[in-house]
Amino acid sequence: MRMELQATPQEVMRAVEALREFGRAQELPDRVVFGLALALEECGCNIVQHALGRDAQKKFQVAVERKPTQILIELRDGGPEFDFTGFDKPSAPAEDEDAPGGWGVQIIRRYIDAIRYRREGNENVLLLIKQLDEPSTAEVKF
Amino acid sequence: MPLVIQIQTGSSSLAAQTATIRLSGSLDTATAPELEAQLATLLAGPIKELVFDLAQLTFISSAGLRVIAQARKQLRERGGLASFVHLQPQIQEVFDIIASLPGIAIFKDIAEMDRYLAARQRTHGQQI
Repeated sequence: MRMELQATPQEVMRAVEALREFGRAQELPDRVVFGLALALEECGCNIVQHALGRDAQKKFQVAVERKPTQILIELRDGGPEFDFTGFDKPSAPAEDEDAPGGWGVQIIRRYIDAIRYRREGNENVLLLIKQLDEPSTAEVKF
Repeated sequence: MPLVIQIQTGSSSLAAQTATIRLSGSLDTATAPELEAQLATLLAGPIKELVFDLAQLTFISSAGLRVIAQARKQLRERGGLASFVHLQPQIQEVFDIIASLPGIAIFKDIAEMDRYLAARQRTHGQQI
């Protein structure tokens, strides 16, 4: 099941809280849940601010899936083509952190094992993959 | 998860230059604007030292770090300092990821911070 969200910060945090509940239900370690929540917040924030221009009329989608040894988070938005994963370190000074990517990308890369971007029709599709240490026999979609 | 902000300033004229900010909950893209607004009000005054007590802060994202960076910049411009104490491990890790911000001091506890600030005061010839 996908979550459809309006392009607002509050909606990003609604998705983050839902992800936390999902993580608790899956009995994931606290550090894993924290990292997933933070990565989703950073990605969602980038979509709201840079892809959808903080337009509450616009929407984006989040889907979370549990594989036996992975958590997958997919984010889709209909904004202009933009792959922020190409940013490595912020090009701006530390106090001028308003450019796309930057700290957010560094944070995401600490907690997520693989980030894949693709353009699908008119949509940006971002896939975050977290490897889990302990496999589960369940496959659960959120 | 909401963010609770508690601000305490000193009562003497020199202590009025220092404020302690206790954050509880989540400092994220939704709650960062509230902290930004309260810091703007605080920094409109003669504040030179900010102490962020993060014992009850459980989540921080780059949105929150940007607000802190802006406050740090304003303090640095007036010869001041932002200090952080009682970081939970997951919060410390986020600070570590961005390799800390220049002009910010992180202390494990109040005693360590007090020793640092006392040394700073001797250097700058001030008493708080």
